[in-house]
Amino acid sequence: MLDIKPILSALRRSKVGAILLLLQVALTTAIVSNAIFMISQNLSYLREDTGYPQQEIFSFVVMTFGKDIDLDQQAELDETMIRNIPGVVNSTLSQAIPLSGGGSSASVRLKPLPETSKEGHLAYFYGDENALETFGVKLIEGRNFRPEEVIFSNNFQDNGPTTIIVSKALAQSMFDKGAALGEFIYVEGRALEIIGIVDVMESAWPRADDSGTTGIIPFIHAQNYQHFLVRTEASERANVMNIIEEKMLQAYNKRVIINVEGLDESKDAYDSSDVLMMRMLIVLVVVLILVTALGILGLTQFNISKRTKQIGTRRALGARKSAIVRYFLVENALVCAVGLVIGSFGAVFLGKALMQAYSIDALTLNYVIFTAFFIFVMSLLAVVVPARRAASISPSIATRSI
Amino acid sequence: MLLHYIDLSWRSIKNTPVISFLMVFAIAIGIGITMTSLSVYHMMSMDPIPHKSSQIYYPQLQVMDEGNDWYSEDNLPYQLTYQDAMNLYNADTGVLSSPSFRSGFSVHLNSPDIKPRMEPARFVTNAFFEIFDRPFIFGAPWTRDDQENKPYVVVISKEINERFFGGENSVGKEIYLDNKGYRIVGVTEDWEQPVKYYDLNNGAFVSPEQLYIPFTIAPLEETGTWGNMNSWKQEPMRNYQDLLISEKVWIQFWVQLDTDMAKEAYGRFLMAYMEDQKARGRFSRKKLEYGLRNVNEWMVYNKVVSEDNRILVALSFMFLMVCVANILGLLLAKFLKRAPEVGVRRALGASKRNIFLQHIVEVSVIGLAGGLLGIFVAQIGLWGVRATNPNYDALATMDWLMLLAAPIISLLASFIASLYPAWLVCKTQPAIYLKSQ
Amino acid sequence: MMLKMHDINKVYQTDSVQTYALRDFSLEVNEGEFIAVTGPSGSGKTTFLNMAGLLETFTSGQYTLDGIDVGELSDNQRADLRNQKIGFIFQGFNLIPDLNIFENVEVPLRYRGVSSKERKRSVEACLEQVGLASRAKHLPQQLSGGQQQRVAIARALVGKPRFLLADEPTGNLDSLMARQVMELLEEINRNGSTIVMVTHDPDLARRVPRNIQVVDGQLADLTLYQGQPEIDSSCVVERPSEVGL
Repeated sequence: MLDIKPILSALRRSKVGAILLLLQVALTTAIVSNAIFMISQNLSYLREDTGYPQQEIFSFVVMTFGKDIDLDQQAELDETMIRNIPGVVNSTLSQAIPLSGGGSSASVRLKPLPETSKEGHLAYFYGDENALETFGVKLIEGRNFRPEEVIFSNNFQDNGPTTIIVSKALAQSMFDKGAALGEFIYVEGRALEIIGIVDVMESAWPRADDSGTTGIIPFIHAQNYQHFLVRTEASERANVMNIIEEKMLQAYNKRVIINVEGLDESKDAYDSSDVLMMRMLIVLVVVLILVTALGILGLTQFNISKRTKQIGTRRALGARKSAIVRYFLVENALVCAVGLVIGSFGAVFLGKALMQAYSIDALTLNYVIFTAFFIFVMSLLAVVVPARRAASISPSIATRSI
Repeated sequence: MLLHYIDLSWRSIKNTPVISFLMVFAIAIGIGITMTSLSVYHMMSMDPIPHKSSQIYYPQLQVMDEGNDWYSEDNLPYQLTYQDAMNLYNADTGVLSSPSFRSGFSVHLNSPDIKPRMEPARFVTNAFFEIFDRPFIFGAPWTRDDQENKPYVVVISKEINERFFGGENSVGKEIYLDNKGYRIVGVTEDWEQPVKYYDLNNGAFVSPEQLYIPFTIAPLEETGTWGNMNSWKQEPMRNYQDLLISEKVWIQFWVQLDTDMAKEAYGRFLMAYMEDQKARGRFSRKKLEYGLRNVNEWMVYNKVVSEDNRILVALSFMFLMVCVANILGLLLAKFLKRAPEVGVRRALGASKRNIFLQHIVEVSVIGLAGGLLGIFVAQIGLWGVRATNPNYDALATMDWLMLLAAPIISLLASFIASLYPAWLVCKTQPAIYLKSQ
Repeated sequence: MMLKMHDINKVYQTDSVQTYALRDFSLEVNEGEFIAVTGPSGSGKTTFLNMAGLLETFTSGQYTLDGIDVGELSDNQRADLRNQKIGFIFQGFNLIPDLNIFENVEVPLRYRGVSSKERKRSVEACLEQVGLASRAKHLPQQLSGGQQQRVAIARALVGKPRFLLADEPTGNLDSLMARQVMELLEEINRNGSTIVMVTHDPDLARRVPRNIQVVDGQLADLTLYQGQPEIDSSCVVERPSEVGL
């Protein structure tokens, strides 16, 4: 027996408290469901597989100021030297670091200009035959580069490579059913034969929509500002990172080694604003729920202190303690339910407004439902404490004069 | 009378410590959260060079052929080609202008004592320092003559000067960038700006360069950019010379235009320039377009304030609303309990206005306390922001404006929360409560 | 026997002081009796009322209400007993301000789990009896004090309790209204209900067949004063009261 009717008529006569509670619950539902939605979007992005064993890879930058060496030759020497460091699996030179936020991309075509052709987006890494193993991505079709396919040159157009390894995502974006092996694609005017297809391999901008359409091009253009990628046993990475500067300078000292950074660290730095946003949203959600719970607690307490005499009278007239607790729970549940319905509409409205103003996805309803349910349970919990206190009001209050 | 009200407020707060604490707490949390996001927003969006921001402009040219699209809102490329930048700079316009890009060197003194360090450097002309009002500690910018005839000169920052020369006047000394010696002509103050507005291409929140090199060094040393380089058409790229004559865009450009007239004249100049280039086979579009935005417009155009931050500001103000609703509830409880006392006061001759003021003053005291505590909460929040993302070091701070805004917003919020309860309590009929006493 | 209290003690204990609110209090009330309980302020009248109405527990002694030993009952059982056997009339009326007259009278029946049809019939009958059937939709504060107390009486009667406890039922009323309420109570008593009324008004007490007086937590039965002028030594204060230790 929930006694809804008299509770309703009592509520009708003390509207302000109810409206305040309703307002808080509605606002909280609207804010929290959108915030949780954004948090979960962020989380699912942060947990996405990038294709790289990030814990095993690190990168560094070499800036050479000495002019007395051949950079291509030195690069080969360096790679060999690095590979000989205990714990190192493989190493390659590249023009960009995956997942770091800085890299190269180009449009890719099935036919050369000026013919009309399907066009796609390719984020690429230069590397030699060691790149595949260094990146740690999974080859699912075809083969790795042969050493003679790797071109050392400073002129991509005229004296560039003829092969490429692409990601499955690129193969699927350009060819029916991803049947790309052996096909040619045109990059910067050069025809490149697809000799291998790897599974997931994210670009330098994992946040971007087209971050999956990537490729490795067997081209080495050694410059005085050059990235190295090194893959090690996971347990050895820290050691190798510690000695790499010394080893590199031992090999040749007219250069500077900087940005020795694990691939996971590079990604963390790239993601830092997303993580920041997520943390702020989490703080907002937690504090908001806390404040709302406190608000419900306070309002219930206020209601109870206003009705001390009434509660005593009810007890004298035969109300069990449980009936008093139930009264406040039902009262709160009724107000909350209205607040939750309004808040759910508010959440959808806010989600739409945010989606129109900003580049975020549409709020899905299950987040609203989940939030509403959670806030409902939380509000009941917030009521239980003062309601139990109310139930322990002695019925003898009724005989006390004012 | 005000003092009397403040005295009454203080007594009332002392008499109801729990409810008063809860109110102060609710305001403090609300203000803390709001000020955290608002401070970051404020630092991101505030005018970085207020006395001059409407005189410094960034020109853009529509260099792309018909059918090519850019990702900017008006389809104009963010940067210029090298040849356009040089042509604009060398044209006889009579205004201060400077091309600019970011690169870097390993810096050393050509002695084994100090290990070389990689340092980012900015390539500019001597006008750059005047356009942006850069203060010099020692020396001065290089001259136009230096720039054109003996360009191996450098302006270093205070920090570099401390590191390599112990803070002494290093003008005239030599410093090595990669394998070349450069003569130091000046030492500038460090450029501490929350937003690096003069180079939004490399990121609005990256640290400033500590070295300034004449732009004319670039072709001599074949220096590549450390920023974005975008191409919209296929061109042979055999050597550095190919880059300099290419249509790749990678150079930023700033120009100082003191008056509206000067701005209009510069606009006409840009159109004339494009017409002239069109005659030479470039700028093939039917409709020639340029952009000319001042510093603040440029920041908005480049979306310096991130979406995330706008969303957070909006959400945190909604959060503040929840806190206000909370306080409203608590105030209702507190004020209504006091109705009998108000009845007595009314009977003793207090006007409704007196009662209303008394309560508003009381809430203001609480609001002020909440606002001050909120600053403290915001400091914790901002510390959290800085700890999460080092890029925000200069952004996640409160300047005096924000410090002032915190108690004002707090007072406003608590005032809004107190209106209804105070109105309710001053409606109290004296008779009702006196009878039952 | 409606009510039988034997050697009831109620002790309020603080850290250093024990206070006897009731001391060895014994009283028997027969079915159908109408008793007035008088006594000076602080004598223990209200404590007695709280004990009799099961609003508070006692420290020691035995109390049987309508044949049920209430000493061992749980809180819930006591609540149910109050609901079924006792009707309360309070000095301050204690109507619930948020509920209208009908809903106020209905409260005890709701706690008893009576069906809505049954409730409607009982409530209307009781309001009829107290002459307020036309005011069912009004709120308590829209009624005069006398009307409010009549509503409270209707609420006390609605559950058909055999035992009515009235606490200063006319304390907040003027004399005309007080007389009306008193006549109503007398009528209820004639219909068979046992009534125990606490009052400090000697005029009111005089209208009631049996008077008892509580002094310092103990009982003096004044019925004998009215019947015969001599004091029956078995009924007067047996021991001097000791308050505190």
